[in-house]
Amino acid sequence: MRVRVKFAKTGIMRYVGHLDLMRFFQKAVKRSNLPIRYSEGFNPHQIMSFAAPLGVGLTSEGEYMDIDLKESVDAATALEILNLNMVEGLEITGFKYLPDDAEKCMSAVTAASYTVTYKDPKDDACYIENIIDLKKKFFDESSAINIIKKTKKGERELDLKPLIYRFNLIIEDGLPVYDLLLSSGSTDNIKPELVIKAFHEFLGLPEFDDLSLDIHRVDMYTGDKENFVSLGDIGNDR
Amino acid sequence: MKKLALPDDILMQIDKPARYIGNEFNSVKKNPADVDIRFAMCFPDVYEVGMSHLGIAILYDMLNKREDTYCERVYSPWPDLHNLMKERNIPLFALESQDAIKDFDFIGMTLQYEMCYTNILQILDLAGVALESKDRENDDPIVIVGGPCATNPEPIADFIDIAYVGEGETSYPALLDLYKEHKKNGFDRMAFLREATKIPGIYVPAFYQVTYKESDGTIESFGPIYDDVPSVIERQVVKDMDSSTYPTKMLIPFVRAIQDRVVLEIQRGCIRGCRFCQAGMIYRPNREKSVDILKEQAKELLAATGHEEISLSSLSSSDYHALGELMDFLIDDCLSEGVNVSLPSLRIDAFSLDVMSKVQDVRKSSITFAPEAGSQRMRNVINKGLTVEDIIGGATLAFKGGWNKVKFYFMLGLPTETDDDMRAIPQLANEVAAAYYDTVPKEQRQGRCQITISTSFFVPKPFTPFQWAPMYEAGEYLRRAKIVNDEMKAQLNQKSLKYNWHHSDVTVLEGVFARGDRRLCPAILDAYKSGCFFDAWGEYFDFDKWLAAFEKNNISIDYYAYRQRDLDEILPWDFINCHVTKDFLKREWNNAMNAKVTPNCKMNCNGCGAGIIGSGVCHNAR
Repeated sequence: MRVRVKFAKTGIMRYVGHLDLMRFFQKAVKRSNLPIRYSEGFNPHQIMSFAAPLGVGLTSEGEYMDIDLKESVDAATALEILNLNMVEGLEITGFKYLPDDAEKCMSAVTAASYTVTYKDPKDDACYIENIIDLKKKFFDESSAINIIKKTKKGERELDLKPLIYRFNLIIEDGLPVYDLLLSSGSTDNIKPELVIKAFHEFLGLPEFDDLSLDIHRVDMYTGDKENFVSLGDIGNDR
Repeated sequence: MKKLALPDDILMQIDKPARYIGNEFNSVKKNPADVDIRFAMCFPDVYEVGMSHLGIAILYDMLNKREDTYCERVYSPWPDLHNLMKERNIPLFALESQDAIKDFDFIGMTLQYEMCYTNILQILDLAGVALESKDRENDDPIVIVGGPCATNPEPIADFIDIAYVGEGETSYPALLDLYKEHKKNGFDRMAFLREATKIPGIYVPAFYQVTYKESDGTIESFGPIYDDVPSVIERQVVKDMDSSTYPTKMLIPFVRAIQDRVVLEIQRGCIRGCRFCQAGMIYRPNREKSVDILKEQAKELLAATGHEEISLSSLSSSDYHALGELMDFLIDDCLSEGVNVSLPSLRIDAFSLDVMSKVQDVRKSSITFAPEAGSQRMRNVINKGLTVEDIIGGATLAFKGGWNKVKFYFMLGLPTETDDDMRAIPQLANEVAAAYYDTVPKEQRQGRCQITISTSFFVPKPFTPFQWAPMYEAGEYLRRAKIVNDEMKAQLNQKSLKYNWHHSDVTVLEGVFARGDRRLCPAILDAYKSGCFFDAWGEYFDFDKWLAAFEKNNISIDYYAYRQRDLDEILPWDFINCHVTKDFLKREWNNAMNAKVTPNCKMNCNGCGAGIIGSGVCHNAR
């Protein structure tokens, strides 16, 4: 039976990369004595898969991993034991049994939501007084947002507009806070820094630095534009 | 949120930032305000190497069991971070608390190989601690080193306050108790160090004076400058491995360490007595742990770490008395699904092949032999009790079992080595390849067998029978490697053979340090100042800078490396008593010159001197 584990990766754990995190979880599951299923063959490995990897430097409260169990265990107890095997900055927040027909979290992801702020309150963008109006022009009132996207194969032109499902901007304590819902997954995977970069270009700000942003993933979704469902809302406690 | 010593922009631009954040599962968290002693335990190399070291794991656990002590870890910042820390004046910090280690009571470093000596200076430099012991003040940390290289601490004498000679389990409690007492009563650095010399195994270089002969520069006299400082330092040895402290949990690094597995030490020391091997001499007597204790520790450590592999650690695992019982237990009773066993340092015989076929994928893994020398004469000189029949027989068994990859380790430049001995290396490999084609019928072969020969260049080490032996110049090592390579190409099965050899410049330098004295200190300091560090890493090793530092300080490589030492010369490490007597080493040197084999400790006591400890193999034999 398959289980979807939801977790948060915050604080200093942002500096731990995806591969290292996967290894951490393999050991944590082992320590927790969960009856996880192993693959066949000479070098058996735990059947475990993760939804879209989170880049180094980002935090999240909406990460997911699917695991295969040989027998069912009490969800609340399992969640508690797993948490005893976490470190500061990693917290298990969900443990749900998936229906048989549920798609794997890795391939199910179609969108992800983010909160984006500026690390430096003196960032150029923080001084633009009519930034909210400009955002409306850039997003709400535009028909297309054409950018050049660099890929492994070269450069290609891309219209961001249909891949941005939500682009809200509010001012909190005098500073801009972005709330984004973006296309995610294996086909059109849009990183939040790409969207903010395009906005900065629209604002006419000088060269954009990815590292100037604090990016926090809020959740990941499956489904389509008409009906997004959180990966954490699928499944049951038993 | 836990604070970090490094700012976000640095962490985001360096390689593997998770090396520097601490927070590993099972790492120890204490409130620094609650302890009397703060100890920074350092492995002076990169995190992934240092985190794999068992000795530090043992001491970290042992020191943190004391309520009055907080032991934290430090590793060498990689050059990318090193430069940024220097640029921005960020002091070196401990991983757990992220506090600057300059404010700690101790900085302890383990010295596992000579090529880390400049990294000692890097640590002190980044920490903001004076590089030379004489310049340190009362409120500076006590710099203490240990590990195998502390059996000749003289080349780094100027940089350290204390060398702890021997196994850390024994004298640290007394040293820390003494420190605490001194700290309570108004700390005076020199008074503390003077008292510390009364604790067994504690060597304070500043309290010793050396004079040299004008004629040839060798040591004329070596001794303490005060009457109450001992003239001989006795290497510390754990007497009973079963009752000795061992961690019940180990840290789980985020960045993959070299040892990404449980390491279970099954015994200390070795019965074999190979004449080139320092560990085989200084860790005498061979002391085994009881199999019941090991079963318990294996279970406990696997549960506490979640590792999917356990490795048995020792100098010669096949010699452990109950290896069969332990392996059966690990395979049948203890290893749940997905957990693997690895067994380094095994002799290749029917038993070990049977075990290996149970725990690894035969098609993918290779069988490793370390005959160390190609000819029987040479193997007798080094006292490697391995015959050509053992090797061919072992390899044949392995081929029958389905393996077709074999790795061989050899040394070049051993004492008395002739061109014939060198040529015997590929000849032996050729015989092994021939055994494959004789053993495995054509239809069962999966292509050719692969025989890989690796040679390293022999470096004479203190406290071995070869401590008097001359080394060769870098060019001569390469000439020897070429002889091996040419001979390999002349072999019938040359297409199944592959040969790797090491760089020779670094070997010469290692040789200078291994048998060096305190006159090397200024050169090491100059080399560091000119940019040498991470010398153990080929991409950072710069031999020309070293040659310049030697020249500036009138250091002759010839004197330290190439000359044959007289058996009666006072050696820089003679003040250390490793229990193995000089008479024994001389006897063994003479046996080597006569290619005479000495039986192992289980067969016969050879009176090496370690019997005085009264434990382990010496005790059991009686």
